[in-house]
Amino acid sequence: MKWGILGILAMLIPFAADAQVTFSQLAEITTSPERLEGRFRQEKYLAALDATLMSTGVFSYQRGKLIRWEILEPIRNILELTPTAMTTMQADGEILRLDSASNSNAAVLGRIFFSVLTAEWESLSNYFELTGEIEGRQWHAVLVPIDAAVMQVFSLIELTGGDLLQEVILHEKSGDRTTIRLDSHR
Amino acid sequence: MRSGIFTLKSVALAWLLIVAMVITLALRQGLAFDSSILSLLPESDQRPLVQYASEQMSKDYSERLILVVSGEDEQKVRAAVRLMAENLIRLPEISRLYWQVSDSEITRLGNELYPYRFSVIDPGIRDLVRAGEYRQISDRALARIFGPLPVAASSIIEDPFGLYIELIGHSKSGLNIRISNSLLRVTNTEIPSYLMILTLNGSPFSGELQRQVLNAISVQHKLMSSAINSIGMSGMLLHAAAGAHQAKTEIATIGIGSLIGIIITMLLVFRRFKPLLLLLFPVAIGCIFATAMILLIFSKVHLVTFAFGAGLVGVSIDYALHFLCERRVSSAQTVMRKIFPGLLLGLFSSIMAYGAPALTPFPGLRQMAAFSVFGLSAAWITVVLWLPLITGNDVQQALGVAARLSKLRQKFPKLESNPVLILLLLLPLGMAINSIWNSAAQDDIRLLQTSPASLLAQEKALQRDLGISSSAGFILVSADSLEASLQKQEQLVSLLKKLEQEGTIGGFQALSSTLPSLKRQAENFALVQTLYGSQLAYIYDVINLPPDSFSRALLVQENSQGHLLTPEIWQQLTGSEGKKNLIVRQTTAPAATIIQLTGQLSSSAKLKLMSIVDSMPGVTFVDQVQNISDLMKKYRVQAETWVIVAYVFVLFVLLLRYKRQVWRIVTPPMLASVYTLAILVQLGYGINLFHMLALILVLGIGLDMGIFLTETDEAPHTWLAVSLSAFTSLLAFGLLALSETPVLHHFGLTIAIGLTLVWLISPLMRKY
Repeated sequence: MKWGILGILAMLIPFAADAQVTFSQLAEITTSPERLEGRFRQEKYLAALDATLMSTGVFSYQRGKLIRWEILEPIRNILELTPTAMTTMQADGEILRLDSASNSNAAVLGRIFFSVLTAEWESLSNYFELTGEIEGRQWHAVLVPIDAAVMQVFSLIELTGGDLLQEVILHEKSGDRTTIRLDSHR
Repeated sequence: MRSGIFTLKSVALAWLLIVAMVITLALRQGLAFDSSILSLLPESDQRPLVQYASEQMSKDYSERLILVVSGEDEQKVRAAVRLMAENLIRLPEISRLYWQVSDSEITRLGNELYPYRFSVIDPGIRDLVRAGEYRQISDRALARIFGPLPVAASSIIEDPFGLYIELIGHSKSGLNIRISNSLLRVTNTEIPSYLMILTLNGSPFSGELQRQVLNAISVQHKLMSSAINSIGMSGMLLHAAAGAHQAKTEIATIGIGSLIGIIITMLLVFRRFKPLLLLLFPVAIGCIFATAMILLIFSKVHLVTFAFGAGLVGVSIDYALHFLCERRVSSAQTVMRKIFPGLLLGLFSSIMAYGAPALTPFPGLRQMAAFSVFGLSAAWITVVLWLPLITGNDVQQALGVAARLSKLRQKFPKLESNPVLILLLLLPLGMAINSIWNSAAQDDIRLLQTSPASLLAQEKALQRDLGISSSAGFILVSADSLEASLQKQEQLVSLLKKLEQEGTIGGFQALSSTLPSLKRQAENFALVQTLYGSQLAYIYDVINLPPDSFSRALLVQENSQGHLLTPEIWQQLTGSEGKKNLIVRQTTAPAATIIQLTGQLSSSAKLKLMSIVDSMPGVTFVDQVQNISDLMKKYRVQAETWVIVAYVFVLFVLLLRYKRQVWRIVTPPMLASVYTLAILVQLGYGINLFHMLALILVLGIGLDMGIFLTETDEAPHTWLAVSLSAFTSLLAFGLLALSETPVLHHFGLTIAIGLTLVWLISPLMRKY
C-alpha cells in the first residue's frame, strides 16, 4: 500500500515540474454550473484489509447551496451537504444531522468535499497547495494539504476533469483511498 | 505647671512612638487589599467547599482575557494574528497565550482517546444499544463506510462501527471555533475572525498589569491596522480597568473638587494655614493607624472597609474642629478642661455605636467596626495629646464667622413649646415611616456592577459570536472518591438532560461526559460487546469481506477488556486541558467535581435544580449571583439592626449624663435618618446596604453635634465647629452622589441628604 502512494507521488513529479498551475487558471477553464446532476461510481480501497468496496448512486448539486449524494448500491443512503451542515438519511427514515459549529472536524471534511465537487477553487486554496497541468480543455490537479487539521485526514487529493470534474481520488493518511468517477449531465 | 506640660509632652511623644511602631509592624507585614466579595461571607455560613469551588471558578475566569481579531482579508488577518501572538507572549504580564494548535497537538487531540473507544462511548450510541436499536448503529456505520467522505482514524477491523468517530463527531467543543491553518478561527462571523486567549500573570486588578497588557494590544492593533478591522475583547481585566479608570476620573474631579472646597472653607473661617494642617494631622493619624491595626489583626484590608473607613474622616475631624474653635475663645490652659467631657462622651458614644457590629458574625462588618474604633480612638488621642501642645502660643481671638452663623441659627424657630412645629415635624415622620415600610429593599448584584453599558454590550456580542453562554451557576458534587463523585454526576446528568430538552436550562458541561466513571466505562464495554455480538456479522456480510477479518475485528474488541480511562490518565491528555477546572483542587471533602451550567437561569429553573439537588446527599447547587444578592441582603439587614441598636445604646449612655435633655441630642440624627430614607424611597431607590452604612455615619456626626452643643451650652463657637464638621463631610462624601459607581453614588447621596437634614433640624432643638 505504501508503494501505491509512492507510485502516485512518482507519477506526480512530471506534473509538478511542469507548468505551475494556479487555482485561478483552473477557475477559468472549469465551469461550475448552477445545477448539475449525474451518476457516480465509487471505489473505496481499505488499506488494512487490502480490499476494495464498490458503491454506485446518483448525485446532484445546486452551486453554493446543496449537494445531494445518494448511494443506491449496495446499501441505500442519502447524504446532504450544505455549507453549514451535513445530514444523513437512512433507508429506514432515520435522520442524522451534524452542524458544522458542533462538529468542526467533520465540517471541514464536508466543506472540502463540497468545494471539490462544485469547483470552489478559492475556498480550496485555504487548505491546499496546488500542482498540476493543463492540456487544452483537459486538466489534472493535485492538492496537497497545508492545513494541519486537513493533513490529519488527507495526504493528497487528485482531481481530473475537462469542462466538468470527471474523477476525484482522495488519498487518506491511513492509506485508504477513495476513487470517485462522475458521469454528469446538466 | 511646667512639669505638667513636660508630662503631657512625654505622653504625646510616647503616643506618636506607638503609632510609628504599629505602622512599622504593619508595613513589614506588607500592604494587602482584599476585594473578593466571598470573603465578606459570614463565618457561620462559610461552607469552605463551596467557597473553594467558587473561588476556583472565578479565578479561572478573572485571569483570562479573550481576544477576537477580525479583518477583511483572510491571509492578512492570519499573518497579523501570528505576529501579534509573537509580540504579546514576550510580555512578562502574560503567562500563557493560547492562539494556535500545533500539528502534534492536533494529532494527539485526534487520537488520544482512540484506545478507549470501547469504554468511553458517545451517549447517543449508548442509548441506542441500551434500547436494542443495534441496526441503526450498523446502518450509520455502513453509510460512512460507503460514503464519499473519509472514515479517518477508524478502520474496518479496529472499529467497524465507527464508535470513535461517533464519539469525536458528537463531542461539542462548546465554542464556535474550528482549527484552520493551526489557528483558532471563529465560525459564523461575517468577516474572518480568529480567537486568542491570554492568561494573565497576576491579578486583573493590578493597574500596572492593565496598562501593559491593554497598551500592548492597542499598539499591535495600530501597527497592523491595515489587516485588522477590530479586536473584540472579553475578560475581568476590562471591567477592572474600566472600574479603575472611572474611580481615577472621579477622584480627580469629585475628590479634588471637594478637597479644594474644604481648604477654601477652612481658610475663609480661620484665615490661616496652620489650623488646616492641625485638622488634617489627627485625621491622617487616625486613618493610618486604623489601616495598620486592621492589617495586623486581619492580615488584609477589605476594600469595602477601606471605603467606609475613609468616611470616618467626617467623624474624626469633629474632635479637632471642636478643639480649634473652642481654642479661639479659651486660653491654652482652660480649653481642654472645658471641652474634655464633651470630647470623651463623643468618643464613647461613637465607639459604642461603631463598635457594636464587632459582635456580629459578618467579617466585613467586624472589620469596619474595628477600623472605626481604632481610627476614632487614634484621632481622638492625637487631638487630646497633641493639639494643646501645638497651639500653646496661638492667639485667642473670636472668629467672626461664629457670631454670624449663630445669628442665623437664632432665626430658626424653637421646637420646644411650639406645638405647630412639633406637628409639622411629626406629620411627615408618620408619612415617611409609612413609605419606608411599604418600600421594597434592593439587594441587587447590579449595585456592585461598575462597568459602563458599552463595555457590557461589546462583551455580550463577542460571547454570542463565540457561543459562550456560561452562567454563574454550577452544581458541586462531593463524595468519598472521585469515582463516586463521577457516578453521582452520571445520575445527575440524566436528570439535567431532561431539563435541557424541556428548555428549562440552556445546557451544561459535566466532567463525567468527558471522563465517565470506571463503573460507567465497564458498563459501556459490556454494551459494545452486545453490539458486536448482534451486528458485526451483518456488517461484514454487507461489506463482503473474508471471515478471518471478522474474527480479527472481534478479537480486537475482546482484547480491549479492562482498558479503561482512569482519571490519572485523563489528566495527562491534551484534551483535558480546558476541563480540569471541573475538579475542585482544594477541597474539604475527599473529592469534589463540578457541573457547569450554561445560559441564563430563570427562577423556576433554579427551583427545579434545587429540588433535584436536595434529593442527593453531597450535591449542592451554587448560584453565585444569588449568593451575592443574598449576602448583600444579610448585610443590609444587619446594618439596619446595627443602626437601631446603636440609637438605643447611645440613648441609654447619654441618658446618664443629660437626663431629660437627651432628646435634643438624639432627635436630629434620628429624624434626619428617617426622612433621608423616605426621600430615597420617593426618588425611586430601593433601600440598600450602602444607604444604611451612610446613615451610621450620619448618626456619628449628628451625635457629636448634639453632645458638643449641649456641653458648651450651645456656644457660637461650638455651633461653628459642628457646622464646619457637617459641611466638610458634605463636601468630602456628599459629592460622591455625583459618582457613576453605584456604591459610591448611594453612599454619597445618603450622606448629602442626611447631613443637610441634621444640620437643619439641629437648631430647632436648641435650648437657648
